[in-house]
Amino acid sequence: MIKRLADRLFRWFCHPDYYPDIRGDLEELYQRNLEEGRQLEQWRYLLQVLGLLRPNLIRSFPQPTLIHPAMFRHYFHISTRNLLRQKLFTTINILGLAIGLSSFLLINEYIRFEESYDSFFKNADQIYRMSTVQVVNGEVGEKDAMIYQPAPQALKDELPEIENATVTYKFDELVLRQGTSIIQEKHVVSADSIFLDIFNYKILQGSPEEMLTEPNAIVLTESKAKFYFGDQDPLGKTIQILGSFNRPFKVTGVIQGIPENTHYKFDILISDGSIKNRRDYNSWNYNNYYGFVKLNKQATVSSLNDKLEAFAKKYTDENTKERFTLYPIQDIHLKSDYTFESEISGSEKAVSFLRAIALFILLIAWVNYINLSTARAVNRAKEVGLRKVVGAYKLQLIGQFLLEALLINLLAALMALLVSELSLPYFNQLVGKQVMLHVWNYLPFLLSLLTFFLIGTFVSGFYPALVLSGFKPVAVLKGKFRNSRSGAMLRKGLVVVQFAASIILIANTFTVFRQVQFMQGKDLGITTDYVVGFGIPNVEKDQQEAHNNKVKSFADALRTHTAIETVGGTSNLPGGGGADISSTTNIIRMVGLTDLTDGTTYVQSNDEYFLDAVSLQLLAGRNFDRNRTADTMVVMVNQALLRRFNIHDVESVLHEQIQFGEDDSNGKFEIIGVVKDFNRTSLKSSVEPTLYFPDYTPNNMVLKLNPEHYQEGLAYLQETWAKFFPDAPLDYSFLDDRFAALYAQDQRFGEIFGTFSGLAIFIAILGLFGLSSFMAVQRTAEVGVRKVLGATVSSIIGLFYKDFLMLLGIAGLVSIPATYYGMNFWLSTYAYRIAFPWLLVAVALMIVVVFALLTVGYQIYKVAILDPAKTLRHE
Amino acid sequence: MKTYPLGEFEEIVLLTVGVLFDEAYGVAIKDAVEERAHRKVSVGALQSALKRMEKKGYLQSRTGEANAQRGGKPKRFYTITAFGKLALQQSKGIRTELWEAIPQLAFDFKHA
Repeated sequence: MIKRLADRLFRWFCHPDYYPDIRGDLEELYQRNLEEGRQLEQWRYLLQVLGLLRPNLIRSFPQPTLIHPAMFRHYFHISTRNLLRQKLFTTINILGLAIGLSSFLLINEYIRFEESYDSFFKNADQIYRMSTVQVVNGEVGEKDAMIYQPAPQALKDELPEIENATVTYKFDELVLRQGTSIIQEKHVVSADSIFLDIFNYKILQGSPEEMLTEPNAIVLTESKAKFYFGDQDPLGKTIQILGSFNRPFKVTGVIQGIPENTHYKFDILISDGSIKNRRDYNSWNYNNYYGFVKLNKQATVSSLNDKLEAFAKKYTDENTKERFTLYPIQDIHLKSDYTFESEISGSEKAVSFLRAIALFILLIAWVNYINLSTARAVNRAKEVGLRKVVGAYKLQLIGQFLLEALLINLLAALMALLVSELSLPYFNQLVGKQVMLHVWNYLPFLLSLLTFFLIGTFVSGFYPALVLSGFKPVAVLKGKFRNSRSGAMLRKGLVVVQFAASIILIANTFTVFRQVQFMQGKDLGITTDYVVGFGIPNVEKDQQEAHNNKVKSFADALRTHTAIETVGGTSNLPGGGGADISSTTNIIRMVGLTDLTDGTTYVQSNDEYFLDAVSLQLLAGRNFDRNRTADTMVVMVNQALLRRFNIHDVESVLHEQIQFGEDDSNGKFEIIGVVKDFNRTSLKSSVEPTLYFPDYTPNNMVLKLNPEHYQEGLAYLQETWAKFFPDAPLDYSFLDDRFAALYAQDQRFGEIFGTFSGLAIFIAILGLFGLSSFMAVQRTAEVGVRKVLGATVSSIIGLFYKDFLMLLGIAGLVSIPATYYGMNFWLSTYAYRIAFPWLLVAVALMIVVVFALLTVGYQIYKVAILDPAKTLRHE
Repeated sequence: MKTYPLGEFEEIVLLTVGVLFDEAYGVAIKDAVEERAHRKVSVGALQSALKRMEKKGYLQSRTGEANAQRGGKPKRFYTITAFGKLALQQSKGIRTELWEAIPQLAFDFKHA
C-alpha cells in the first residue's frame, strides 16, 4: 500500500529518462531487503523515494505561464478595462464589499474586545473568583458573586493548591475632600498587598509590598493622582474621606490606569486595614466581599470541588446548603450568571448574535459578487472562447478571473479601511465602549483586514472563475451559448440566502426593540414619574443621633414647599442594580403557619412615607407608624414572599409572625401589612420576595414632585440641601431615568442590531439592483416581442415578479423558523418578556418584499417601456 | 590550467565505478561504496551524483537488460570516460602535492 503510493509519487516526479533504471534499483533493493526479513521495508522504501526528490532528478514541471510578467500586465489591463466599462457592476460590488467588510471587521474587533476581559493579567488562567452558591436538593439555586470576608484566606490555609488569596470590598460611593473641594468617588475598593500581586497592575510609585499594609493608606490610579494633586508628587499627601470614615488617608502609592476590559474596575484603593471595624469584617454571616484566589499551575478547579464542599461545611455548619465556587475571572464578563456582580456584565448571547450579524453581512456582500459575475458570464463568453482557441490553459483563465476578483476585493479592502476609520467614532459610540482609537495603526485590525480580503477574494472569486473558465470554445464561438441552468439555480439559491438573512436581521431588530419598549412601558407596580431619589450622607457612629435629627429637620423643611408632595425614605432606591439590595439566605418561616423555607429573602427598610412617595399600593393591613413605640418588631411583606409560602389570601397573614433560623428564641416580626409586588430593578429579574422593615432615618430619600411645578421643587431641594449638608454633593436622579438606565444595554443591543441590519439589507438590495438590471437588459428582446404581441407593461412586470415572489416565499419559509428559534432563545433571558411578535415578523417580511419588488420593478419598468421598434431592430 | 570540479562524494562514486569496471550499476555501486567507504548511501544521493557526473562528462552509461527481480526494469551501467580519468588524476595529484608539502613537525604529536 505504502509502496504503491511511493511508486506513484516517484513516477510522478521523476525525470522520465531516469525513471526505468532508478525504479529498477529501488525494486532490487526492496526485494533483497525483503528476503533478509527486514521490518517496515515499505516505509524505508518511501523514505528512499523521498530522498530522490532532488533538483537534478525530477522532471521539468511546466512553468505556470500565468505569472509571466507580460501576461500579468495584460490581465491587469483587461481587468481594469472591464471594471471601468461596467461602472454599475463595479460600484455595487466595491461598495457592498467595502461596507460588508468594514462592518464585519468592526464587529469583530468589538467581539475580540469583549472576549479580552481580564485576560491581560499575568497567569490570568490561574485566577479565580471565590463565590457563594446555594445548593438545594442537589441543584444550584441562588448564585451570589460575593463571599464572606475571611473565606478566601481560610481557603488558602486549608488547600495547598491555592497559591494566593485576597479579599476586597467595593464601596458604593465615597465622598472625598481634598483641600476645599468635595468629590464623589464611585469606584473605590479596599485591597491588601496580595491584591496587587494577583492583579499585576503596574505600580508607578510606592512599594508594592508596603503601600497597602498600614491602615488609612490610599492608592490612586495615575489619572486620579493627577486629578487630585496635579503635577505635585502625591506620595505622603493626605485626602480626607468623609462620611462614616471621616478621617484623613495618606497617599502611599500610584498605579497605572485601570483598563476598560476588566470586570473589577476601580480608581482608588484603600488599604484593607482601614475597614477592620466594619461589622461584616471577619464575619461568616455577611457575604459582602469579593474574594479572588490564584491556583498553582498544576491545580484544576474540577479536582477541588469535594474539598470546597468540605471546606464550606467546616466553616459554616455541617448541614449548610452553601457551597463555595471558584469561577475563572476571564469568564466573568461574558458568562457569569451570578447576582451581585461588581458591574453589569456583558452578554455572551449578545456577542454570539453580533457574530452572526457580522457573518451575515459579509456573506451577503460576497454573494453579490458571485451573483453578478456569474450572471454576466455571457458577456465574457466570447472572450473566454477566443482565449482558449489561441491556446490559453484553463488554469490561466482561472488565474485571470481570480485576479479580477482580487482587484475588486483590493479596492473594497482599501475603501473598507477608510470607511472603518471614518465610522469608528460612531461605532465606539454605538457600542458604548472605546474599542479602538484608530483602525489604520491597529495591527490586529489590519491583520484581520488582510485575512478577510484574501479569503474574500477566494470565496467570491473562485466559483465565478471556475464557471467562466469552463466554457467550451466551440459552443461559445458558434453563438449557441446559454447561461447554464445550474448556474441560474445557484444564483436563485444565493438570492434566497440574502433575502432570508435580511428578513432574519430585520425581524430580530424589531423584536429586540419591542422587548425594550415593553420593559420600559410595563407597569412596575409603582409610579416613577416626577419622583426624584437621592442619597443622604453617612456619618460616624458617635454622631448618628445628631445626624438623625438633622435628616428629620431636612425632611420637614422639604415638606413645607408646595411643589414637593411627599418625602419618603428607603434603604433602596427603586431602579437600582441587582446588587443594590441586602439579602439573606437564612431559612425563614411564619410561626405556627408554615414550615421553614429555603431561598433568598430580600430586605429593604422604608419609612412610613415611602409607599405614598412611589404610589405603592398597600393590599392589606396598615403602614408603619413612628409614633407607636411598639412598632419595632414589625414587618411588611410583598406578594412574592407570600407566594413562596403558597399563601394567596393577603388578609390571612396579618398579625402572623416571621422568624429567621431554626432557633425558636430568635426574634419574631409581626406582619402588619402586605404591599403589592413592584419591580425594584430590571425586568430581567422577577419581583424579589422582600421583607420591609421600618427605618425612620434611611439612607435614601424619594421625593414625589408636583408634575406642574417640579422644577421649583428641584430648585428648592438644592437650596435646602446646601443649607443642611454643605459638605456633601447632592446627586439626585429621577426614578424613571434610573429604570431606563437599567435597560441601556438592551437598548444598545437593539441599536447595534438595527444599524447593521440596515446595512445588511442595503447591501442585499444593492446586489438585487445590479442583478435585476442585468436580467432585464438580457431579456430586452423578449420584452420587445411580448409587447409586439400585445403584452402591457404591467403584465410584463408581473411576469418577472412571479420569479422573485417565489424566491421571497422560500426566503420567508426559511427565515421565520430561524427567527422564531433565535428570538425565543434571547427572550428567555427575561423574567418579563413579550410573546413572540408574529406581527412584527410579518412586517419585516413585508419590508423585504416591498424593497425587493421596488428594486426589481424599477429595472424591468425601464426595459418594458422601451419602444419595441427600437429594441427589436437588431434581431 | 584547466580544473575539473569533483566533490568528495563524487570522487568516491567515480572511483567505485572504476573499481567495478563493467558491472557498475546503481545497486552494485551503492553496495560497494557502503562496503569500502563504510558509509550509508541513499539511492537519492547516489543517483543524483551519477546523473550529475554523467552530465559533466566524467561518466557514460549504457542500458542493460531488464530482469524480473527488478520489476522488469533495465539496469544502467556506468563507465568512466577519459575526462573522468583526468578529473580523478587531478584530484589525486592535488592531494599528493599537499601531502608532500606538509612539514614533518605538523604530525609530530605528543601522546600524553
